[in-house]
Amino acid sequence: MKRALGHSWQAYLFLAPALILFAVFSFWPVGYGSYLAFTDYSLIKPAHWVGLDNFRYIFDNAMFVAGLKNSLLFLLIVPAIQVGAMALAVLVNNNLPGIRLFRAAFYVPVVTAISVVGIMWGFMFHEQGMLNYVLMQLRLVNQPVGWLSDDAIALFSVMFVTIWRGLGWYMVMYLAALQSVPAEMQEAAILDGANRWQRFWKITVPMLMPTIMVCTIMSVLAALKAYQEVLVLTQGGPLNATFTALYYAYDQGLKHLKLPRGLAASFVVSLCCIAIMLPCLRYFRPKHR
Amino acid sequence: MSRYRLLAASLAIALSFNAYAAATEHIEFWTMSLKPKFVPYFDDLVKRYQAQHPGVEIEWVDFPADLIQTKLVTRIVAGSPPALVNLNVPWADEYARDGLIVPIDSLLGDGKSSYVKAALDDLTFSGKTYGFPLYSNVTVIAYNTQLFKQAGLTRPPQSLDEQLAYSVQIFEKTGKAGFSPSLAKADGFMLQQGLPILTDGKAAFNSPQHVALIEKLAKAYKAGGILKDSLFAEDNFPAAIAAYNGGRLAMLSAPPTAVKRIQSDASDIYAITDIAPAPLGPTGIVDGGWLIHFAVPAGVNPKLMPEVAKFARFITDDENQLAFAKLANVFPTTIAAANDPYFQHLPPNAGASEKAVAIGAESMKRSRTLYVAGIEDYDELRRALVNAVEAGVTGKRDPKAALDAAVVIWNKKLAKQAH
Repeated sequence: MKRALGHSWQAYLFLAPALILFAVFSFWPVGYGSYLAFTDYSLIKPAHWVGLDNFRYIFDNAMFVAGLKNSLLFLLIVPAIQVGAMALAVLVNNNLPGIRLFRAAFYVPVVTAISVVGIMWGFMFHEQGMLNYVLMQLRLVNQPVGWLSDDAIALFSVMFVTIWRGLGWYMVMYLAALQSVPAEMQEAAILDGANRWQRFWKITVPMLMPTIMVCTIMSVLAALKAYQEVLVLTQGGPLNATFTALYYAYDQGLKHLKLPRGLAASFVVSLCCIAIMLPCLRYFRPKHR
Repeated sequence: MSRYRLLAASLAIALSFNAYAAATEHIEFWTMSLKPKFVPYFDDLVKRYQAQHPGVEIEWVDFPADLIQTKLVTRIVAGSPPALVNLNVPWADEYARDGLIVPIDSLLGDGKSSYVKAALDDLTFSGKTYGFPLYSNVTVIAYNTQLFKQAGLTRPPQSLDEQLAYSVQIFEKTGKAGFSPSLAKADGFMLQQGLPILTDGKAAFNSPQHVALIEKLAKAYKAGGILKDSLFAEDNFPAAIAAYNGGRLAMLSAPPTAVKRIQSDASDIYAITDIAPAPLGPTGIVDGGWLIHFAVPAGVNPKLMPEVAKFARFITDDENQLAFAKLANVFPTTIAAANDPYFQHLPPNAGASEKAVAIGAESMKRSRTLYVAGIEDYDELRRALVNAVEAGVTGKRDPKAALDAAVVIWNKKLAKQAH
């Protein structure tokens, strides 16, 4: 017993540096920020408890409500990005000439600065930009499409950019997982007469399940927290069509310095993240331990 | 013995250093987006002031416009604000209400009479003055004479109606947009057209006249006369000047500083650019008055205030305002500098840039910063108005219905504030 206690103290000692960093840079800001969401904090005046006032304010605000709906709509990218990333990973997992170049090319958007992404896609999506030019040359559309100026399309354009940015990251995760699937299992299945499709569904996908879980959770969080693409492409327009809940938090908290409202919006986004993640974790929990 | 000498010398040095430190007054002032272009000007200004005022140390810091507010609030909270900071009028109004800047009436002293009255009026909230005016700007129209010629137009527009009609004609004849109004500032746009935003403390921008204005814009928008790029973005100027420089826009409503930018960035377009005064609204006010001033943040050491006042008056005096205005193509806000011949006479063989300054100087007399003062969360209300204007202009919603909906949002908020 004494020995076990001694061991656990040692473990905590080794964990301490990381825990201290977490406490200072994660737990404390999250805890204190959550508290401030229930106050009238204004940077120059002491904070007073105001209960749910900030939450009433944001839910009474059409922009936040629209933003929350858009954030939930953003979840549509999750299946698209997962299926796309997995398909890409399967493709680049082959030993073809120049395959490394493809792997690198798909990863480039991940490391591209968001400001560059904004400028580049701004040009692409412009009414007189490349995308419309190509579509019109191919006679697929008669007049330029307002990719970022039509409120019915703009959110999907922004979502597309988010998918484009994230695809390479998840592809690498799946690629690593694919390469760790034991070759013997595939060989045994071939000997047993399994075809390519059966091997994929019966061996590869189950072996990838932990990676699928991590990637799904990460992409759910990324979807609910989307705001960078909005900032560089549309600033929430047209007609609030691309306003997301976290962009509202940024707009209120950092742009207009109404921190409690921004924090209240962030708090709601966090609750949504937890509410959506819990069933995900339950669904992906390993059935056999 | 030598040890005592050493001790005495050290003491003397420490005391003299301490005396020097006590005598040195440190004044930090912040400007907005003026680096790197104006580094020689401010370096010289600081040197001159320090030479005239031994014992005063001046530190110049420049921040981009999108950062300066956050930096300022952070420093005020930290208890170490700069002595002076560049602000525009709407920011100053908000900060004055929040107690983030202090009135400067006592610091202005006799110097008050040297500033243009309209500038001081713009900076007066609840009867108190909140800034030393530095410079102002006014909108002129830069127009592409080649596109005008192709469209069969022989003179610049003299009213908004004419500007909209020209825009449609230009699009029909050339396929290029006519102009790009700053519709994210829909409040200023309406005020300039003599249409009130508030009446008796209630939103009043859904009258038949307001609706008619939106319908006029919608008609021009639908006909292709208005540039669509970032039309409702908070700042549509970058998109507008890019389109003008690329020959895709016939008229650019912008301050004379923008004409200098056309000259440096698109010399071919500059060569075919002419300048005209921006049409006056029924109010006789020119749109685009944008006054930049030096405000004194809350928390500045009271002992430092006399020196802060001296420096603020120096940096905004006739001579320095005139020098800066000439350099930046902006307009001074002291009476003597504004009346300088530089702004009154057009030199022979003047290019579009010089012409913009001369025409702008004439318009300055009728220029004001147009916005609604004294409303909590004004930016949010303005966004509701801009959304209504956007829905109406782009044809997503009936203009009357869109404005009515925004009026409901405004009145709900205004009623809460009244309680």
